[in-house]
Amino acid sequence: MISLSKAEKSYIQAGILGDPPHRSDGRDLHDFRTVALETGVAPLSNGSARLTIGRVLRGGGGTEVLAATKLEVEDMKAGGVDGGRIVCSVTCSPAAYPHLSSGALEDLQYDMTMIINQTLSHPSLHPSNLSIVKGQKSWLLNLDLVVLSDAGNVHDALFMAARAALWDTKVPRTRSIEYKAAAANRSAGGMEIDDASGLDTRQQPSMADFELHDFWDEGEPLEGREVWPVSVTLNLISPMHYLDASAQEEAATPLRLLLAFSFSPSGTALQGMRVLGVGELDAKTVKQGIEDGEKYAREIYTALNAKLKDEDVRRNQKASHRFARR
Amino acid sequence: MITFTSFPSSPGGEYDAVRRHRETDNDMDVDFDDDDDFSSNRLRLTLPGDYLTSSQAFMRGHGTYVHEDQVVASVAGTVERVNKLITVRAIRTRYNPEVGDLVVGRITEVQPRRWKVDANSRQDAVLMLSSVNLPGGVQRRKLESDELQMRNFFEEGDLLVAEVQAFFSDGAMSLHTRSLKYGKLRNGQLVIIPPILVRRLKSHFITLPCGVDLILGLNGYIWVSRHIKASDQAGEEGFDAEAVYSNQNDDIDEPTRGAIARVTNIIHVLAAHFVPLTDTILLEAYEWSVEQEEANKGLFQEDVAEALVASLHSRS
Repeated sequence: MISLSKAEKSYIQAGILGDPPHRSDGRDLHDFRTVALETGVAPLSNGSARLTIGRVLRGGGGTEVLAATKLEVEDMKAGGVDGGRIVCSVTCSPAAYPHLSSGALEDLQYDMTMIINQTLSHPSLHPSNLSIVKGQKSWLLNLDLVVLSDAGNVHDALFMAARAALWDTKVPRTRSIEYKAAAANRSAGGMEIDDASGLDTRQQPSMADFELHDFWDEGEPLEGREVWPVSVTLNLISPMHYLDASAQEEAATPLRLLLAFSFSPSGTALQGMRVLGVGELDAKTVKQGIEDGEKYAREIYTALNAKLKDEDVRRNQKASHRFARR
Repeated sequence: MITFTSFPSSPGGEYDAVRRHRETDNDMDVDFDDDDDFSSNRLRLTLPGDYLTSSQAFMRGHGTYVHEDQVVASVAGTVERVNKLITVRAIRTRYNPEVGDLVVGRITEVQPRRWKVDANSRQDAVLMLSSVNLPGGVQRRKLESDELQMRNFFEEGDLLVAEVQAFFSDGAMSLHTRSLKYGKLRNGQLVIIPPILVRRLKSHFITLPCGVDLILGLNGYIWVSRHIKASDQAGEEGFDAEAVYSNQNDDIDEPTRGAIARVTNIIHVLAAHFVPLTDTILLEAYEWSVEQEEANKGLFQEDVAEALVASLHSRS
């Protein structure tokens, strides 16, 4: 958190509590800065996205986050989980937090990793197509996020980037193959054994493996990619709250309520909730916050989905364009 | 409430774009070996690694190094020459202080008899306790009790406007606030832009007619605040320590807040388009944005920002 003088803090707080409220850059309380998003930025990953909030034109500034997923084959015997698992990690570039020591930076990374990992690897969100060979092999999905610069509201940026990268993730098509030792090998003594015998309890030496289909589009999207959550951070200056705080506004806000919602046809679920900062929060504020937060999150969700579909179209066009030029 | 955009496609970023080797570009004249090049007043831009001239005939200055008897630029910037000394002034750099410069800084540390001040320079600046105005008159001797209550004057995070007084042997600058124009800042907000965009002006204290005061620090820190009438500023006699070192903001009315936000956004837009700031440019930009009756946040949109910069170019 950047340092701010008492006068700057009270200027920001008085502006937000004023009537009508005023923010330091003239936005309304519930306006976001411009969010720029691009998927498919890392060619070697299975899905990737780059997201900035509040970057001024071609110039710099703003919060910037990169997200990428990589699928890895995991064996059950080597500690894998049947049906696959998801592991998320967040790394912060030291350039994003030049005022933090390396120890403090690690703490911050750990905090962000915990929030993202606990929300996204929850069983209720688990995609069903991460299994390769049942009981033997499955995909381990690594989601890595890098915070390249932080100009406020980094949590919402992380969740949006994570959602975009997961949306973009393609799981390679596989076909499982089972190898069985030939029956003849086992009946070495020349004795004929009926393979169909139900009494045969000897272990059948078998191997399961898989092969990859060769397709031009690199696979299928993750199952249930609609439900990946979006988060919204309510910055609380009692009794008001506002969205998408800049770094200065964050430093002047004592409490933030982070809510992660997932929307699916069957309904809305609150997937995660954190209170960031010091201070106390009464139950009424939390209740009201969840109600309002759901409304904002739905808007973010709708806008983000539209953008992700645009990105899919853009990349398909680009791919076919390049194909045609060959 | 939330809008998504795409990243602007950068030329040369596409892998499948046709790329030419630089030597086949005939439209670029990169012949620096000619001595006459330096005598002409043309602005010359360099990239790191550009050969500038022979090291036999010229001396290398800041931003250059010698390689194979040639002076080579080590930064992207403009070439400057003083007699036989070639220097390159970098476009993006930290602030290079000079004595007499007006800077805006933020206290980072309170130390015995001095404050450390972040002024966007390579090292933190130093503000000595003996270089500030203390309550009870200018000519007062510094007492031990002053040393014990230094946080009452400035504490960590506080913003102040000061003048560069001198340099220490290690190159750190020493500041002073021994004028009533200088001191702690309140009633506004800070904008940070590249220091190269702040020109040296007759006065760095600017008052816009919309009731906004600006302090253009040469280090790229700009303080945008509510206008304080000159008559309200205490005279030399009535030095009021309470007011000078106060952390309390005055009441700021709603139109003034709007104007401060608008000026802040204009500065951001101009900095993104690399327009150097002067009082006239700021005033014209402010008038333009009010004329357009554009909602303040419209300045974040690329087309509005481009139109603003274009209108400034057409006027000048």
